[in-house]
Amino acid sequence: MAHAYTPGLKVLAKTMLTKTRRLPLKGNVKVKKGDLVKADDIVAHTDLPGNVFPVNVANFLNVDPSELDDFMIRKEGDVIRKGDILAETKGIFGLFKSSVKSPVAGTLDSYSKVTGQAIIRENPIPVNIHAYIDGVIDEVIPEEGVVIRTTAAFVQGIFGIGGERRGAIKILTDKPGDTLTADLIDDSCKGKVLVGGAFMTLDAFKKAEKIGVEGIIVGGFNYKDIKDIVGYDIGVAITGEEPVQTTLIVTEGFGEIPMAEQTFNLLKDHEEEVASINGATQIRAGVIRPEVIICLDEIADNKIKSADVKGMDIGTVVRVIRAPYFGLLGEVTELPHALQKLESGSMARVAKVKIYKQNKEVMLPRANLEIYETK
Amino acid sequence: MEKKTVKPENIQSILATDCGSTTTKAILIEKQGDEYRLVTRGEAPTTVEAPFEDVTKGVLNAVKEVEELRGRTLLNEDKIISPQKGEAGVDIYISTSSAGGGLQMLVAGVVKAMSAESAERAALGAGAIVMDVLASNDGRMPHEKISRIRHLRPDMILLSGGVDGGTISHVVEMAELLRAANPKPRLGINYRLPVIYAGNKKAAPEIEKNLGEVTDLSVVPNLRPVLERENLGPARDKIHDLFMEHVMAQAPGYKKLMDMTHAPIMPTPGAVGSIIQVIARDENISVVGVDIGGATTDVFSVFKDPDSDEPVFNRTVSANLGMSYSISNVLAEAKLENILRWVPFDINETDLRNRIGNKMIRPTTIPQSLEELKIEQAIAREALRLSFVQHKSFAVGLKGVQKERTISDTFDQSSTGETLVNMMDLDLLVGSGGVLSHAPRRHQSARMMIDAFLPEGITQLAVDSIFMMPQLGVLASVHEKAATEVFNKDCLLRLGTCIAPVGSVKPGKDFVTVKLELPEGKVFNQTIPFGDMILIEAPYTPVKAEIIPVRGVDVGDGPGNAIQTTIYGGLVGIIIDARGRNPFILPPNPADRVQKLQVWSQAVKEFES
Amino acid sequence: MKRNGFFLILSLVMGAAVPLLGALDPVAVPKEGEPEGRIVVLNVNPVDQAFRYDIFQKSEGEKDWNFIISYTHLDEEMLFDINNGVPTRFKVTALDKDLNVLEEAVTEPVVTEAMWFNTKRIVRFIAMILFSGIILYYIRKARQMKEIYLRPIAGLKAFEEAVGRATEMGKSVLYVPGIMDLDQVETISGVIILGHVAKMTARYEANLNVPVSRSLVMEAAREIVNESYLSEGRPDLFNPDMVHYYTDDQFAFAAAVDGIMLREKPAAVFLQGKFYAESLILAETGNSIGAIQIAGTGSPSQIPFFVTACDYTLIGEEFFAASAYLGKDPKLLGSIKGQDIIKGAIMITILLGVIFESLGFTFFKDIFNL
Repeated sequence: MAHAYTPGLKVLAKTMLTKTRRLPLKGNVKVKKGDLVKADDIVAHTDLPGNVFPVNVANFLNVDPSELDDFMIRKEGDVIRKGDILAETKGIFGLFKSSVKSPVAGTLDSYSKVTGQAIIRENPIPVNIHAYIDGVIDEVIPEEGVVIRTTAAFVQGIFGIGGERRGAIKILTDKPGDTLTADLIDDSCKGKVLVGGAFMTLDAFKKAEKIGVEGIIVGGFNYKDIKDIVGYDIGVAITGEEPVQTTLIVTEGFGEIPMAEQTFNLLKDHEEEVASINGATQIRAGVIRPEVIICLDEIADNKIKSADVKGMDIGTVVRVIRAPYFGLLGEVTELPHALQKLESGSMARVAKVKIYKQNKEVMLPRANLEIYETK
Repeated sequence: MEKKTVKPENIQSILATDCGSTTTKAILIEKQGDEYRLVTRGEAPTTVEAPFEDVTKGVLNAVKEVEELRGRTLLNEDKIISPQKGEAGVDIYISTSSAGGGLQMLVAGVVKAMSAESAERAALGAGAIVMDVLASNDGRMPHEKISRIRHLRPDMILLSGGVDGGTISHVVEMAELLRAANPKPRLGINYRLPVIYAGNKKAAPEIEKNLGEVTDLSVVPNLRPVLERENLGPARDKIHDLFMEHVMAQAPGYKKLMDMTHAPIMPTPGAVGSIIQVIARDENISVVGVDIGGATTDVFSVFKDPDSDEPVFNRTVSANLGMSYSISNVLAEAKLENILRWVPFDINETDLRNRIGNKMIRPTTIPQSLEELKIEQAIAREALRLSFVQHKSFAVGLKGVQKERTISDTFDQSSTGETLVNMMDLDLLVGSGGVLSHAPRRHQSARMMIDAFLPEGITQLAVDSIFMMPQLGVLASVHEKAATEVFNKDCLLRLGTCIAPVGSVKPGKDFVTVKLELPEGKVFNQTIPFGDMILIEAPYTPVKAEIIPVRGVDVGDGPGNAIQTTIYGGLVGIIIDARGRNPFILPPNPADRVQKLQVWSQAVKEFES
Repeated sequence: MKRNGFFLILSLVMGAAVPLLGALDPVAVPKEGEPEGRIVVLNVNPVDQAFRYDIFQKSEGEKDWNFIISYTHLDEEMLFDINNGVPTRFKVTALDKDLNVLEEAVTEPVVTEAMWFNTKRIVRFIAMILFSGIILYYIRKARQMKEIYLRPIAGLKAFEEAVGRATEMGKSVLYVPGIMDLDQVETISGVIILGHVAKMTARYEANLNVPVSRSLVMEAAREIVNESYLSEGRPDLFNPDMVHYYTDDQFAFAAAVDGIMLREKPAAVFLQGKFYAESLILAETGNSIGAIQIAGTGSPSQIPFFVTACDYTLIGEEFFAASAYLGKDPKLLGSIKGQDIIKGAIMITILLGVIFESLGFTFFKDIFNL
């Protein structure tokens, strides 16, 4: 269990990163390898098959499904408008005919001589995939999508809600430990990505959403308030599709917890610059973290590499990620090898950490420490 | 591929691995004298994902650890030596896998409570996670069903419906929906989705016409040939085969792993199910097993069907009840007050919600303070309770069955589809998963299981300390004797026995008298008042017991009847739970409740004093 | 002597207009405490040597005196019934043994009135308020989505199952709403339950077959089945021929239904309504074809046959409550709950009455005897 601690979230001032932009179904890729793209450019396109509407023709006509061939007016593959007659009985001398009309516009996909159902497929829904970041096309996945490479400042949050959005960064609090309250938000925030400090109130979020803020990056948030925002309990940390107008990225955790100094300063350095953000989170196998990407005006090259995850050592700056001491920063002063008994009675590998704020040394389980990665 | 196999009676050593989504665990079993025993175990991180993308690397690492610990050669470069030659190699190598999220299936049937339920039972029993159950009467419009199918991207679909000679149109309609949706498999875009058809055989040609081209269709015998009987075997076996051929074959390195093993690789939960079935059959007992993980909780049970007297196996997965990734969902489903009822101190709601949220986003943290541990165990109780509630409502008798009546049934008409879970009949309750297996004190595991499952009468409690059940499950398919021996001797940690009389009297009044003949000639003879919990320490040896309940209270032989039997102690001992059942009520007043929780905690020595 | 004084003044006022005002001195007054009015008390002074007194009555607007009754003794209270609000006079004639008129006298007109409140029925009034209150309370509670517990009735839970069985087996659902006309409450209940079953068959896309033996029932059943299919959004599955008429004749109808059973082999048979001697013929045939059968009737004499031959039987009350149970309509659920509470209260009251009476205490009975 040498890797029991969570590798820290990335906060990188300059890195090469790649983004895979993939279609939900096979389609057309609109760019070539080596093309330069802007965030708003469409890189791939496809048509999602439309919704399917079964109509029980045989029952409407009161005929046996096996005789359907005699009554169908439209053939499989025909384009159909709403209200078009699909099938009709002959009636008696042309009288007493009964007919079935299409409830939707689309294409007659098929009809069945067992169930008597005709299947009408609505017109396809076009899907465009945007580049999302400025960069160069690194790779084209035929019919599926592209990989875009860029040089950017990159910040990962721990939890987010809402999907992809873009806006210029605007810092609202002076210090990373300040609270982001509703009165700090005004009309000038519209279309921006706001950066706050240690905590944001529910009112502040609601106001931001009303004004039309694109996104908010904040240190901490009350877990309880998420239910008020999205209307339901987020029980499992798989997010990104919430019905919110403003994407929220929490960088540190739930409760009041100051945004990491480095994160705050990095974002501050890029104030006024446009950031691409995404709140999608998945904390399971194949982890996805919410992200903030600020593309730099440099040609991306492969030389800059993100740092490898380093192990915990004496002198490593860590953050405590579970109560008690939750959210506090400290420095590892000792790493005992043997398992030690915790107050709870569990045996665990521990580290002695000097907590900066309280200026005292405590023994903490390594599982509850997070390396405070900076670069 | 033909593999050299050793005759079962000559098998000297067995190596088994379980490739979980984060760790790969290996165990080594050797024949010592006449019996098979676990000798050592090792583990290594699973290597399905980048940068390794080859599951066998993790397997070999875990085996290497076993090699080192045992001081024997098992590997020749990257090959497991088999059969055993002298001190080198093993006779059998087997494996299970739940890496990559396990086997995710979509199930469809005609009537939700009939063929669709049977199909779900088949899929769950085979170890799958059932993503959704589609049925003609599930209340969704056809286009809603289609978009659901498209959205899900399962590994496999099981389609059923209609008894043999029954409805054709409903099943074909389902097939038409599937075809219209044209679902894509989850892993890999370039192979056709496996679909198993196990419904009305008369409809098979039509199904073939509809799905034969767009999917990889296999037709197996109907899993509900008549409404009165299920025939889940063929569908289950087919699921296992397809799991191997398609799903596993897509995962990196699994082809290599398949070549290495002597028995088909089973999905982990399917293997756990089979060992539980073997144990229940061999010892003729009713068993409930639970595995509480970070994201999901699996419940397995074997109970006798009261109508046919046949043991019936059921498995359920509570996909979103777990102790880390899904912990917030436990809060959402159980409701705050139900969690708080197990917490023996006051806590602010916002604070508690934030703590739970933080555990969800940082799943690997562990409780450091006693307070945190108590909160975590309170949540575990609710997660276990909820998944057991789900299990009870799923583990039911067959519905849609004709009943025979006599005039005596006039005022007492029993209905079908009643739960098979009868807590009074339960003999053995096995827990596993981090919060139960790694609780600082075994007493806490026992308490959590008692509070969550509320066993009735006499029930033995055990935990699977290192989660060896999956490997033993596959082993049972090749060598049952070895599997059961290791299960009983090494896998289970016997915690003891819970005696819980059913009924209630006024608090403080006499409830039950228990007489025990403990080892070393000690005798326990005490009348326990209602509302108390008592722990009698006793090792895992037979203890003669006489249990005399007061009038109207049942300990297994009907209200008011005393029983004489033999029970077993264990690492914890014998727990007499006189808090009453049906109903089991905690004091509604917070102060009283906290006080009671503390008294019970002390009585069963939950925490070191 | 007050009365004499009164009449003295009266005679002075009336003067000679009132003839023969003699010793008989009859006085008619409304009886006190009669909530409905109508009762008049007549007081007459006995006359020496009178052998018999004949009483006559004349209401305003009538020409002749009507003879009412004869008395030989005047010691019992004389009560007479008149119409409220109509001034009525009484005439008393005293006769001797030879039936010669000794004396004759007429009363003043008397008018009776009903009281605003019938105090005698105050218990009933309280009970009505209480019972309505209980029912309204439970209806409200049911509306507020407070879970209302209903005793699980196996037969009702089996409805869905029976339809499901028919669906899986690809067979039809046969529903017989009894053999009587719509004037029977059981037929009405049977038709209402048919509405619920039709909803299920619409949802399950199962075939429904409803033979009926009365033309009116056919119309009602068609309407309700059509409505059910519409409300489930499946008008395409509805076909008026699902409900069809055979014959009014009891045994011809039974033979026809048996015929359907044997030919079509439905997987679910519902017998819900009023049945007579054909009950066992139908139920046994249904049993022999292996269908799940659910019977429901209020006829106690048919229940034993249904219980033995069917899978589930709804007995009396259960049958009438079925509609509420299946429809989960809060109004019906609430009123059923309320009715059950009231029934419980009445049972307790009867029991208490029996106990107190047996022990010789009458106060309890007297409460209800005002």
